[in-house]
Amino acid sequence: MNAKAQKPKGTGIDPGYYDGVTQAIRSAAVKLLQEGEVATVVGYLPGRRNGTAGPALVTSVEQAQKLVFSPACVNNLSLYLTKAKKGVLKPGRAAIVAKGCDLRALAGLMGEAQFKREDVTIIGIACAGVYRSATNAGTPLTEATIAWKCRECTVHTPEGVDVVAGTLPELPELTPAEALEIARLEALPQAERWAYWHEQFSRCIRCLACRQVCPFCYCEQCMCDRNRPQAVEGSPRPAGNTAWHITRAMHLAGRCAGCAECERACPMDIPLNLLNRRMAKELKELYDYEAGMVPQEKTPLTQYREDDDQSFIK
Amino acid sequence: MPLSITEQNLRQLVDTLVKERKLVVGPKLTDGLALYQPLSSGQELSLAKLPRRSAKELFFPICEDILSFEKNKQGTTVNDVDRSHFPEAVLIGAPPCDAASPAILDAVFSWDYQDPFYLKRRERSTIVGIGCRQGDDACFCTAVGIGPDSDNGSDLFLTQLKGGGFACSVVTPKGQALVDSHASLFGEGAAGQTRPFEGKLGDKLDLAKIKKWLDEHFEDPLWESIADICIGCGACAFICPACHCFDINDEGGTEKGTRRKHWDACGFSKFTNHASGHNPRDAQNKRYRNRIMHKFKYYDDKFGKTLCTGCGRCIRACPVGIDIADIIGTIEAK
Amino acid sequence: MCQSDNIYLPHLATIEAVVDETPDVRTLRLVFQDEEVREKFNFRAGQFAEYSAFGAGESTFCIASPPTRKGYIECCFRSVGRVTEALRGLEVGETIGVRGPYGNSFPIENFYGKNLVFVAGGIALPPLRTVIWNCLDLRDKFRDITIVYGARSESDLVYKRELAEWQARDDVRLVKCVDPGGNGPDWDGKVGFVPNVLGEAAPGAENTIALVCGPPIMIKFTLPVLEKLGFADDAIYTTLENRMKCGVGKCGRCNVGNVYVCKDGPVFTAGQVKAMSREF
Repeated sequence: MNAKAQKPKGTGIDPGYYDGVTQAIRSAAVKLLQEGEVATVVGYLPGRRNGTAGPALVTSVEQAQKLVFSPACVNNLSLYLTKAKKGVLKPGRAAIVAKGCDLRALAGLMGEAQFKREDVTIIGIACAGVYRSATNAGTPLTEATIAWKCRECTVHTPEGVDVVAGTLPELPELTPAEALEIARLEALPQAERWAYWHEQFSRCIRCLACRQVCPFCYCEQCMCDRNRPQAVEGSPRPAGNTAWHITRAMHLAGRCAGCAECERACPMDIPLNLLNRRMAKELKELYDYEAGMVPQEKTPLTQYREDDDQSFIK
Repeated sequence: MPLSITEQNLRQLVDTLVKERKLVVGPKLTDGLALYQPLSSGQELSLAKLPRRSAKELFFPICEDILSFEKNKQGTTVNDVDRSHFPEAVLIGAPPCDAASPAILDAVFSWDYQDPFYLKRRERSTIVGIGCRQGDDACFCTAVGIGPDSDNGSDLFLTQLKGGGFACSVVTPKGQALVDSHASLFGEGAAGQTRPFEGKLGDKLDLAKIKKWLDEHFEDPLWESIADICIGCGACAFICPACHCFDINDEGGTEKGTRRKHWDACGFSKFTNHASGHNPRDAQNKRYRNRIMHKFKYYDDKFGKTLCTGCGRCIRACPVGIDIADIIGTIEAK
Repeated sequence: MCQSDNIYLPHLATIEAVVDETPDVRTLRLVFQDEEVREKFNFRAGQFAEYSAFGAGESTFCIASPPTRKGYIECCFRSVGRVTEALRGLEVGETIGVRGPYGNSFPIENFYGKNLVFVAGGIALPPLRTVIWNCLDLRDKFRDITIVYGARSESDLVYKRELAEWQARDDVRLVKCVDPGGNGPDWDGKVGFVPNVLGEAAPGAENTIALVCGPPIMIKFTLPVLEKLGFADDAIYTTLENRMKCGVGKCGRCNVGNVYVCKDGPVFTAGQVKAMSREF
């Protein structure tokens, strides 16, 4: 899907760009619904509040004419195609609006047999980026307001999709804030790094927004909801919170698409994507693997190969 | 007699209360995130931002022990939690949407059975509310009958003045006691002009009309359309000043351990799951319907109050942009 | 402990006796450890309690023994999860916690002078068993007593010894049944689903109260049968079981619409159930 991903260069974002994407999505969605190719379009509709947008399951042409794309379109819509949201594909094929990061999730989900490629029409966005925080809604997308994941994005231009929506404008080179933060933390002595994360996890209230917003957390029974055995303490105290987040990062290793929705959804501002990104770095170093670039069933952590790196076993 | 207090003296009040070994809780800003936290000095009090979570946790903590147990050869002993050590507390800096909620929650926590964990904390605390001077488009306190100048739920209510300082209004005997015991910090005299409110707030909604629609529309396509999107996390319930569902769990081991209660949310998929596997609210539309019904109908049916203060936190926090103000506005317009 | 105002603090009780009703259903007979509690504990038929297996948690069951018998209480449960497995793992002499009694109760006094028809299925007999014995202990106050009870198979019947007692009595009419295929070679009861067997037994509705308890599917098919026999909605009583945690109306888990099963129930008339929101 995004096998040839690379970073484009440029400066500034043409404001008309978002209108172009919006029009492309609308005309594609309307056509698909009118011709009966899909029963549902999973896209973004504007919210009541100025500059906001949110996920919508659109089934009528009338609604499809209101679909939008803007920097507020932060949600990873692939969430709505997993088994956790059972009803969406039941009425028939669906079209889905996907940014590059969302596309990586779609590829990963296909590899995990969550749905078939032929069941979906993918409207890929030539994406300039989205907001870092919901509070940015209604303001221009600038270096100060763009999401960290977007600063280092290599999948601005979608590949392997059915419709490409929009033309990518020239994009500025941005400092890799997330990579710098990971480097900063890695440079800390272990005790300080542990103290940092202990402080972050002590703010966790176990709302599980991180889990619910993640397309890959579709287990029928999450290990933190089990009480036989009780693997993770249910009450929101630091030790249980730490166990929860570490275990989730481990379960996502090799699967996580890097959409950073977990971090965005966290009401307590815990920088969860750092954990997933760090795990992704391990996968890259050990197995030269990046999740979600092509749909594949066999990934480093779901298969054993004789020539797998085992240097970490001391 | 009009009372006033300067900002400096308000911070001095915090310092004084801390010295008196009271638990002083107020909004504290750390790395841009405002949260209600115990204050160790007046300087820490921040009135710049609405705290991300509500003040309910002063009375209804995220997690608290309710008993402990131990088994040995002699048998099992179960120990209560010593509530005599619950501190005298003062909550300073709660805007009306937060100050109003304990008064709403009192009803359920004292419904026939008195929850001592909540009620003892309530008994020992004084709420100093502060009128709100700015809101965003997620705020809808006026829609539910509260407003930026509502002293509902406050013991002492402060209104910000142009040029600094606050006019003070004593609302309850607790508020009076707080003023009397720190009289030197409060001033007399004409209050001065109130700082205007920046932002736009809507009109009060007809909550009775909304309730009537809810009474008659347990089944309605509205529930499907919202709930298609809801992903069933607990963010809205946990940061809400009025939501109060909780779970009770034993933690530790069978020989020695603690029973705790901690926040839970009706949005979670297994909230109403029976041991048999039967789940009365087995689809997200049923769960989201329960949320709206509980807030705008059931709590009113039982206790005559609306279980919402219009703080807008759920709107800001919802990962998928569900807007409860939009929902009740839509219902009211039907 | 009794002096504490902590509503979440249970009384301690010792397991005095254990009866395995079926391979996965057990009755515990409990005696409160504190003398004052032993003397003062009082409840009405239909009320429930929260039973603790310390370390595993609490589970909600009705108080299955009748209030007319003093000195002990009983609970009866199926092992389906962490707490019930833990309760089942305890032996005679060990301690469990009991919080209660909670909820409303059957208005037995309103049934004086009437005929009673009890209809129960499987593990749902215990909540009615407390009423049955309550009434049998005051037998003169009631007229005809009919019990229709069935389970999936013979081995799934609970209170087997008491079924035999009731069958042997001439002041009780017991109609027991098992689902088709659930009968062994020596089965001397009916074969059929409870609602059908009830229809055949056709107890009269005149001056009669019906008490029904069973899984949702059984209730669904039993209420129309009772209606056809002439029972009015306020002459039919049932007890609802929802997922409960605190038992005292605070944790927000057990509500069916605006009805809290732990506070407004668990005993309801059919009329009240029909008026509830469809979510149970």
